[in-house]
Formats: sequence, structure tokens, C-alpha cells
Amino acid sequence: MSRQFISHDKMTAWLDALSRDRAVLVPMDDCGTVTFRPYVPGRKALLDKMPVRAPKEGVFPQTETLLRFKYDKDPENLDRVKVQVREVLPTQKAVVVGGRPCGARGQLILDRVYNCDTMRDPYYVSRRENTLYVTVACTSAESTCFCHSVGSGPDDSEGSDVLLVPVEGGYVAEGVTERGRELLAEGDFESASQARMDEAGAVISRTRGQLGEAHDYSDAPRKLLERFDDMDFWNEQAAICISCGACTYLCPTCYCFNMTDEQSGLQGKRLRTWDTCMSFEFTLEGSGHNPRPTKAHRLRNRMGHKFAYYPELHEGLIACCGCGRCIKSCPVSLDIRAVVQAAQNHNAVPEEAEEKADA
Amino acid sequence: MSAPDGRELRIVGFLCNWCSYGGADTAGVGRFVQPTDLRIVRVPCSGRIDPLFIVRALISGADGVLVSGCHPRDCHYAAGNYYARRRLEMLKQFLPVTGIDPARFEYTWVSASEGQRWQHVVTTFTSRIHDLGPAPRMTGGNGYAELADIERAVQAGQGCPCHLKEVRS
Amino acid sequence: MSVLQELKEQIRAALPELDMVLGWEQGFDALHMRPLFIRTEKDLERLVLNPLCVHSLATYLPGLLRGAGNDKKVGLVVKGCDSRAVIQLVQEKLIPRDRVVMFGFGCNGIVSLQKLEAGAQGCSGIGSVEFAGDKVVLSAPDTKVELPFAEIRSGKCETCRYHNAIDADHFAGARVEEGAVPAKHPTLEEFEKLPLSERFAFWQEQMRRCVRCYACRNTCPMCVCRDHCIATSRNPHWLTQESSTAENFMFQMIHVMHLTGRCVECGECERACPLDIPLMLLRRSMNGVVRELFAYESGTDPDATPPLLTYQVEEETINERGW
Repeated sequence: MSRQFISHDKMTAWLDALSRDRAVLVPMDDCGTVTFRPYVPGRKALLDKMPVRAPKEGVFPQTETLLRFKYDKDPENLDRVKVQVREVLPTQKAVVVGGRPCGARGQLILDRVYNCDTMRDPYYVSRRENTLYVTVACTSAESTCFCHSVGSGPDDSEGSDVLLVPVEGGYVAEGVTERGRELLAEGDFESASQARMDEAGAVISRTRGQLGEAHDYSDAPRKLLERFDDMDFWNEQAAICISCGACTYLCPTCYCFNMTDEQSGLQGKRLRTWDTCMSFEFTLEGSGHNPRPTKAHRLRNRMGHKFAYYPELHEGLIACCGCGRCIKSCPVSLDIRAVVQAAQNHNAVPEEAEEKADA
Repeated sequence: MSAPDGRELRIVGFLCNWCSYGGADTAGVGRFVQPTDLRIVRVPCSGRIDPLFIVRALISGADGVLVSGCHPRDCHYAAGNYYARRRLEMLKQFLPVTGIDPARFEYTWVSASEGQRWQHVVTTFTSRIHDLGPAPRMTGGNGYAELADIERAVQAGQGCPCHLKEVRS
Repeated sequence: MSVLQELKEQIRAALPELDMVLGWEQGFDALHMRPLFIRTEKDLERLVLNPLCVHSLATYLPGLLRGAGNDKKVGLVVKGCDSRAVIQLVQEKLIPRDRVVMFGFGCNGIVSLQKLEAGAQGCSGIGSVEFAGDKVVLSAPDTKVELPFAEIRSGKCETCRYHNAIDADHFAGARVEEGAVPAKHPTLEEFEKLPLSERFAFWQEQMRRCVRCYACRNTCPMCVCRDHCIATSRNPHWLTQESSTAENFMFQMIHVMHLTGRCVECGECERACPLDIPLMLLRRSMNGVVRELFAYESGTDPDATPPLLTYQVEEETINERGW
């Protein structure tokens, strides 16, 4: 299995070359935090830092204009109003460089929803076809990382076009897809020596070691559904939640959206924006009824969706990538792992339950 | 007739129905000449005015906002303008931290018979806004939207608009 | 007896009459605590008290105590800033004072995780944190880092004038002496040196980063509108769904305006922001205006009247004849 290698300064040259005819999103300093921002020559890419926001923004931006509309009143007959509608289909070519394997996994989950036999979202598909993902593997794990427990890992290449493993002096590169290999051709890559490939392997092994033992979530769907009507359980789990939405907006696999028409005078646009299932308005119906009236109901839905409903519909694929952003950014440190494991351990004898629960 | 330099800027006025709107009417009846930049929104009382009306107007593109009500001690509803006075003074002193020029917002008291005073207020305020020029607008967003901002700045010769000095506690 | 033990004794004695007591417990790793709802002796065993207990528990009170026929009685452990939030909620009659029991203690400040992570560069996998006097020791499998507490203390503590909970029903440990602090927060002092155009450009930059997650709004103890916040309503339609800088900034304006005379500067908004946007600049400035115009300090007197709910016929501080 051959690999290529690129040094750090040739990496910068590669980004410069890519940015000539594409939008390049890279992790960049953002007033003290790190987020994905457009790369232009001269800006510094921080490829060793995981951004606070998720790489899904490349194919699923927070705000998207779907169409613009304009009303024309007929001066002869004021009752007749014509409406002009112009679709805005995104055609910009882009490459997201510097996401992590967990972030790339988001694409797998979104693809099954937005581009499948029964449903083809033209906006998402257009962006997906025009966006490539160059993923950087992880050289260390944090206390909030659990990608290995949900089917991913520090060098998981699923969802990526190119995988880069950081080594001394640069990166060992793998062209995962055909288009990824074409991308590599645009940079000054050389053939990777065996020593370098071994080093890449060692880096990944070390990270895997830091992650510790994977937790088995395979019975989570069944156990979560068993808890469905147990509102005491969900009230306890959701007690500290403040229903903000930080978890959903930073999550690489969350894909729910809202569509609204924003009109000013006789013209306007139809927007698609991220929506959060943690908010009261998410399921609020026009009649005033709300099937998820409390935060306990909403937390049940979020956990259920990621670890039960989605896997049941999609051959066991867990709709969580184990990146830990929700845990880190939650203002009250609510831990999705603890909630799902509490459901898994429910009904066990109390002492056993305490032994089983792990971080 | 529009302002001396020919441009018309966007100035929003919030006038209380009883005194200030009446005062503006009186100015109109008396055919007093004023610049036409100001567009009036009538409210029942200056106490109805939420400071957010003014902020929304400024953020949405108004170059200036003028609020006018009954003179204190003469409010049609007895105490409405006392509350307004507190809120509006608070807003005027808060605006500077946002970077919006507090001179773009003014509040005053004009009674129904003060047509001439109304003319003076509008003319003075409009001319002040013209001196300040069009208000800066907040543009852009994240991700791809930032690209448009970069392109714009680069074309304007400003170079890549990287962030300013951080201020964080 | 340590302060924690004394606190536990006080809670243990009061628990039979209370539906629950809010405190803190160990979170998912050594650097993170999380809120704890204590109902039983077993829950009480998990209570911790240290400078990583950053959350204001007052934010849960309106939700727990409201509703017709609700007669719950709730206790909570409060830092000085948290007690101000409780007092302000009482002042606005949003919670009944007789159904809240405050357990106070002398606070010397909390940790800013941002500053801690910056100070602990190169120390990954921190397994334990020890607070020893004015030093903090972080231990990882292969390294140990010692930092002065003053360096990693949250910025909001620099101008804190309420180290000891106000009007606490119980007090554990000794009271902390209130030292002299600058009247204006240093970050605001610095910010006000910038010309208007630079301030505007600053907020343009910061609002570009905002994700409109509403973490700031939901952690705020004073935000009680919750599900009915005008920022997310379509009628009235104050904000569009667009996450543009202008709309994000308008949300901050809504929040600050609705906090006029109410914000207790607990700093939770800034702490909760996943993007570390310096939101406190706006709120500190607003509180300064309120102090100057109305000589009013929120969250200190349960019987005071909020300044915007009242007026004087002759206002000493407002020049009404202006122009």
C-alpha cells in the first residue's frame, strides 16, 4: 500500500494552489478560538487544532438561500399579482482541509438522509459534489473523544477524499477516492518512505492507546427504546440541561433545518437554516400543541435519534461521531455518553450499574 | 425638498400621536420647509417606544433615528414620557460601546403647537446626519459568506481583513 | 471541619424540609464539574466545592418554582455572584423568597478554563487538579504543571465586590474579606479607548463568529422568558433566521436591553459561549450606565424597585432640555 508525503512548506504551497479556483476552508485562528475559515494566501492554517465548529459547514452551511422571490403587481389589475422565483443553486467548488475523521463521518450520516433513493436534496447534492474533504488524522485524544466507540477511529478515512497523518516534518498522505488522488496531483507530494509510513502507523497506535477501551453501544437502540415511556428517567437525565442548542449547532452529524421566508416589501428570499431539537419551538405546532413540551422529552429525542432511531433505519450506523464537541461546549457539561450508558445500565442491580458506568 | 447636498439619507422618526405628531402636522399646515429624509412612525405615546425599535432601525440600515414626545409633565397619558426619558437616555449612553455613533440617535420633546420648533428639530437633525454621512452597516456571515467580505476588502485595497486586537476578560 | 464538610452538615440538616438542594458534583473529567440536584443522602455524598464550580445554579430556580399550585421549596449553594442573581429574581417577584434557601460560602474566585488551558500548554490528559492556597497544581500522567491561581482566575472575579453570598440563610466557613477593586473592569477600560469605528469593526468581527446557539441566553439567570423569547418568535418578528452578523448583533442588543437594570454580571453568558465571544463588554457597559444614571446596583436589595419600572418627575442625572 503506497503512500505519499508532503513537507510543511510544500503544504502551504498546495493550499495556495488549491485556493486559486476553489474555496478552501481550513482551521484558522478566530479571535482566540479555532474555526473553519476561508483560506487565502497569507492566512495561516492551523492544521493541528480541531475547530470548535464542524466541517459539515462545507456542504451544509448554517444559512442558505434556497430561492429569491419578487412580487410584481399588475397596474391594470391590482388584484393580479405575479411572482418571480429564482433558484439559487450553489455551484462553488470547495475543499475542506483540516477536519478530523470524526468530522468527516458527519458526511456519511448526512449523505444517507439528503441523497438516497427516496430523497435527493438538490442543494446538498450540489455542494457535496463540488466539495472535497482532506482530513487530518489525530495525534492525540482528549477526555471527550470517543470516536472508537461509535465505529470510527483516529485514522478513519470514511467520508474523506484524502487522509493526512501528521509525522515529523509534514504529512503522510493517502488518496482515499479518485478525486482525492487528483487533488494530490496538484501538490508537490513525493513517494513516502517505509520509515515515514511506519511513523504514521506509530502515531495512530499511540492515539488509539490514549483513547482507551471502546465502549459497546450495540444494545443502545433496544435499551433506549425500553426507556421511552420512563419520564422519571428522562427528567433525571435532563435535570441540568438548559435547552440552549450549543450541542446541536456544533455537532458534525446534526442535520435538522428550518425553512423560512424572509420578506421585505415586495421581495424576499427563502432561507434554510440550522434548527435545534433542543428548542421548544422545534416541534411546536400551529395549533399550539407540542408533542415534546419539556426538555426531558427533547433530550430523549436527541439521544434516541443518535443512538436508536437512526441506527435502526440505517443498518446500525450510529448518528454520532464521537468528537465530543457537545460535551466540551455544553455550559453544564452534560455528557451524552453518560446518558446513553445510564439507559444501557438501567435495570441492572444498583452496585453493578455503578461498576459498569465508565467515562 | 431634500437636504442641501441633494442626497437623501434614511432617517426614521418615532413620534407620539398627541404632541409631536400634532406638532409635525402644525409644521405641515404652516407650510414650513423641511428636508424630506425623515419618515415618521406614529406611536400612541413616547412611552410605547421600546429602545429596541431604535436599535433595530439603526442595525437595519437607518442612518439616523429621531424620537419625539410630549414635554415631561405634559404627557397625554400622564407618565408615559417619564418612562421614555429614562429608557432613551439609557440607550443614548449605551450606544457608544457598540460602535454606533450616539449622535445618530436623538430624542426630544415637541408639543402640538410647536410647528416651528419641529421644523428646527428636523432640519438640525437631518443636517447632523448628513454631516455624519451614511451609517456603517454590518455585513457578512460565516463560512462562504466570509469569502465575499474578503473579496470586497481586497478589491477596495484594504488587504485581507484579519481580526483586530482581542479584548476578553 | 472543612468548608465542604460544614456545608454538607448544613444541607443535611435542611434537606428534610426541602424538595431538593442544587449544588455541584464531579463532571466528565478533572477540569469539569457539573450541577447536582440533591434529594437524598446518597446524592449529598457527591457534593463538591472548588473553584471549578463555575455554574450559576440560580438559572434553574424560575423553572423549578413557577406555576400555579407549585409549593416546592428549593435550596441552592451560591457564590456571591449567584446570590445576586437570586436577590434580583426575588426583587422582580419572579421567585418567592420564602421558598428559596441559600447556602453561602466565601468565594475567592473561580477558574477560567480558557486561561487554564492556555497556561497548561503541553500538559495533556490532566488527571487531577489541586487547589493549594494561591497555587493550582495540574497533574497529567507524564507532567505536572503549577500555576498561580491569579493567572487562571476568571476575569469577572477581578472586579468582584461580593465574595460572600448576600442574604444567605446558611453560611459555611469564614467570610472572605472584600478587597478594593477597580470601579471599571480593565477590559472595558481598554475597549473604551478605541474610536467608534474600531469598536464597530470589533463587533462586526465577533458577530461573524456567533453561531446563535443561545447558550448565553439560556445560562443567564435573569432570562426567564425561555420558550417565549422574542428572538425566536415569528410574531413579533424581531429577528430573521439568517445567521448574519447584523442579525446576530441584533440578538445581543435584545439580550442587553432586556437585561437593563437586571444583569448581575455573573458572567455566565461569556463563560457559556462556545466561541468565547467577549459578551460581558456590552453588559458591563450597560451596568455602568445604569449605575451612573439611576444610582442602582442590581441584585443587592430585594426590596428595591428596578430603575426602568419607576421614574422621578425631575431627573437629576438627565438633561432633558438638551438641545
